[in-house]
Amino acid sequence: METLIRIDNLHKSFYDGDTELKVLKGVNLDVHQAEVLAIMGASGVGKSTLLHIIGTLDRPTEGNIFYEDEDVTTFSERELTRFRNDAIGFVFQFHQLLPEFTALENVAMSGLIRNTRKVADENGNRYSSSKAYEKAEILLESVGLSERLGHFPSQLSGGERQRVAIARALINQPKVVLADEPTGNIDDKTSGAVLDVLQDINERLKQTFIIVTHDSRLSERANRTVHLVDGKIADE
Amino acid sequence: MKFEWFVALRYLLSRRKQSFISIISIISIAGVGLGVATVILVIAVLDGVEHGIKERFLANEAHVILRLIDNGFYSNYENKIEAIEKVEGVVAASPIVYSQLAVFREGSKQIEDVILIKGIVPEVEDKVTSFTKFVNGSYDFQNDDLIKEARFLNDDITITGGIVLGSRLAQRLIVNEGDVLRLVVNMTEDRFNPGAFIPLIRNFVVIGFYESELTVYDNQTAFIDLETAQKLYQVDGQINFILIRLEDAELAPEMGEQIIAATEFAILEAPTTTTWLETHAALFQALKLEKIATVIIEALIILVAAFNIASTLIMTVMEKTRDVGMLRTLGASRRQVMGIFMIKGSIIGMLGTLAGTALGLYICWLLSTNVMRPSPWIANACIGILSCSVIGIAYRRIDTVSVVFIIFAIIFSINMFITPFLVLSSTMRTVLIILGVIALLIFWIVVLIKSWQKLSSIWKPTFLALGLLAIGFIFFCYIKPISLEELGLSAIYQMNQLPIKVNWFFVCFINMLSFAICWLATIYPAWQASNLKPIEALQYE
Ligand SMILES: Nc1ncnc2c1ncn2[C@@H]1O[C@H](COP(=O)(O)OP(=O)(O)O)[C@@H](O)[C@H]1O
Ligand SMILES: [Mg+2]
Repeated sequence: METLIRIDNLHKSFYDGDTELKVLKGVNLDVHQAEVLAIMGASGVGKSTLLHIIGTLDRPTEGNIFYEDEDVTTFSERELTRFRNDAIGFVFQFHQLLPEFTALENVAMSGLIRNTRKVADENGNRYSSSKAYEKAEILLESVGLSERLGHFPSQLSGGERQRVAIARALINQPKVVLADEPTGNIDDKTSGAVLDVLQDINERLKQTFIIVTHDSRLSERANRTVHLVDGKIADE
Repeated sequence: MKFEWFVALRYLLSRRKQSFISIISIISIAGVGLGVATVILVIAVLDGVEHGIKERFLANEAHVILRLIDNGFYSNYENKIEAIEKVEGVVAASPIVYSQLAVFREGSKQIEDVILIKGIVPEVEDKVTSFTKFVNGSYDFQNDDLIKEARFLNDDITITGGIVLGSRLAQRLIVNEGDVLRLVVNMTEDRFNPGAFIPLIRNFVVIGFYESELTVYDNQTAFIDLETAQKLYQVDGQINFILIRLEDAELAPEMGEQIIAATEFAILEAPTTTTWLETHAALFQALKLEKIATVIIEALIILVAAFNIASTLIMTVMEKTRDVGMLRTLGASRRQVMGIFMIKGSIIGMLGTLAGTALGLYICWLLSTNVMRPSPWIANACIGILSCSVIGIAYRRIDTVSVVFIIFAIIFSINMFITPFLVLSSTMRTVLIILGVIALLIFWIVVLIKSWQKLSSIWKPTFLALGLLAIGFIFFCYIKPISLEELGLSAIYQMNQLPIKVNWFFVCFINMLSFAICWLATIYPAWQASNLKPIEALQYE
């Protein structure tokens, strides 16, 4: 199986004055292309911290992360910004949708940001806003929200918001979607629908997912589950 | 549309739900606008006063006075005047015999005053200081009927000619037209009584009064015929002053040299020029100082408005911290985040500046336009309707704010509806009305902040437009040209109403300044937003 992300001896400490809080103590992990990887672990063990570092939102204290042999820990701030736009999709526990924007606009947002960078698609054409909106519409349809394009986050239910967030993560066809307890804040029945959507996308688009969760039903649907214990990946 | 503009405009126009414009935006726009409006208005008043005073002074003041350093007499002045009038920028020049003399009335035995006497040729002097315009009576110094009459009545004394007296001077001396005034022209030593002097006295008939409303002149100046004056001092064919009018009074300081050069005086004679600005230096210095002080205060006002923008933006940055985190997570660059908040702030600054300019100019127009205003009762009704609609929009139930409203409503109704029936001094009334308006404004703002979001997106612009119209109309009813006569200031300022002069150059300048300050004020909060760490921003509570 092809390796997409290789995490090598990752350490992360937080400092509060002189006291050092060691959260990650040498994480080694390979993430394969097109798999759904579930990371489980006790609360406060450092799952979110790990996910943020994989998603380049935070830098490790020590260690490297390779995306197809490219070490993102050496990237400059500017390169990271571009990398996040192109290669990463995030889904958080709290949907984090922008309240002033409609579902469609929220989904299109990172496409709009990409347009400002004047990158060309595989056929050499520049992206345009209308294309971003078109794509956003297709994605919202595929998560079952074609009736909700013009709704604001405040007008959507918890499960619907989370599905919008998933659609938003997908718009730039990222290498990986990182989901931090995507069902942690919604009830069982709704989270079922959200999981269906995740699985469907994984199967149809061969989209790689890393999902941090407590939810055993979620890990059942994953291709692989690893456990984070005491700052390390426990042996399987 | 560029991404930054897209996000900034949305932040500006709405909160959670799709709506017209957020109340915070409105308040910050109003903050900037009020600052700009005040600046424009105050400067217009100051400029108006300065302009009015200058105009009044210049109406009967020579722009340049040419004399020898010792006020000495010289002949051949016709050539010099001709030469001066050929200088570019000079309108006219008038020869003067200028001196100070003691006066007393006929029948009085003692000197009553010392006055400035100007020997003039009325027709020529007219071109320089509009002399005839200010004379109440006659200025026919040789042949006026009053002179003949006086000669007939007083056959025991020699009447030299007519004299035009400053009106206040005449009041002080208690003389009327046709009265005889005696001027002490000279002293001669008494041949029979060595050491004693005999005054040489000439008699003049008062034929008119000089009324310029300028104390300096009306209080101490008198005019006689130039030739008569020359005879009086035995300086036939000579003068000692030349008064000059220019096309542009402001150029007076630069014109002196040219004028002196044209007259071809010998250097030893030491010709010198005095401008109207020097003559009234103290006054114009005071005006200038006042203006500098005001400009400083105005700059502070705009600065306050800028702080207002900055604090609003810092508030919105705080409010939008999570959004910033998410935008950065989605791949927005620091520059883009900074751009979003700078665009938002700049739009607020621009709208505020434009609204303030409109308001300031509108009030300037109201203060300078004498047209019939509708009765204040109509305006009061308008205020009532507006208040009711605000209340109507806001209240379907009673809470603390409605109690606040009731208090304000009481204060307001006392001011607006009861004061017309009370016997109050106009200052007291004005203070009460201003208090009432402030109370009302605070009330409206409080109510609108609470209820603005409840308005549907159709009602917001409608309400805003109607509100603006109504306020404009209320202003129209209440704001009138300020009468200096009623305030008892017309004599001091010599104007009937508070003059307003809009300096368009300054308006443009203030617009640019305000916009620049607002723009600068956006930098820090925007930079702060762009500096947020994505993770911390996302976790911000
Ligand atoms: N920015 C931070 N500063 C200091 N400590 C932090 C910070 N972020 C997380 N931590 C600490 O790191 C540990 C792991 O946190 P987290 O990754 O959120 O755990 P999990 O997601 O597994 O519940 C916690 O003890 C938390 O208090
Ligand atoms: Mg967590």
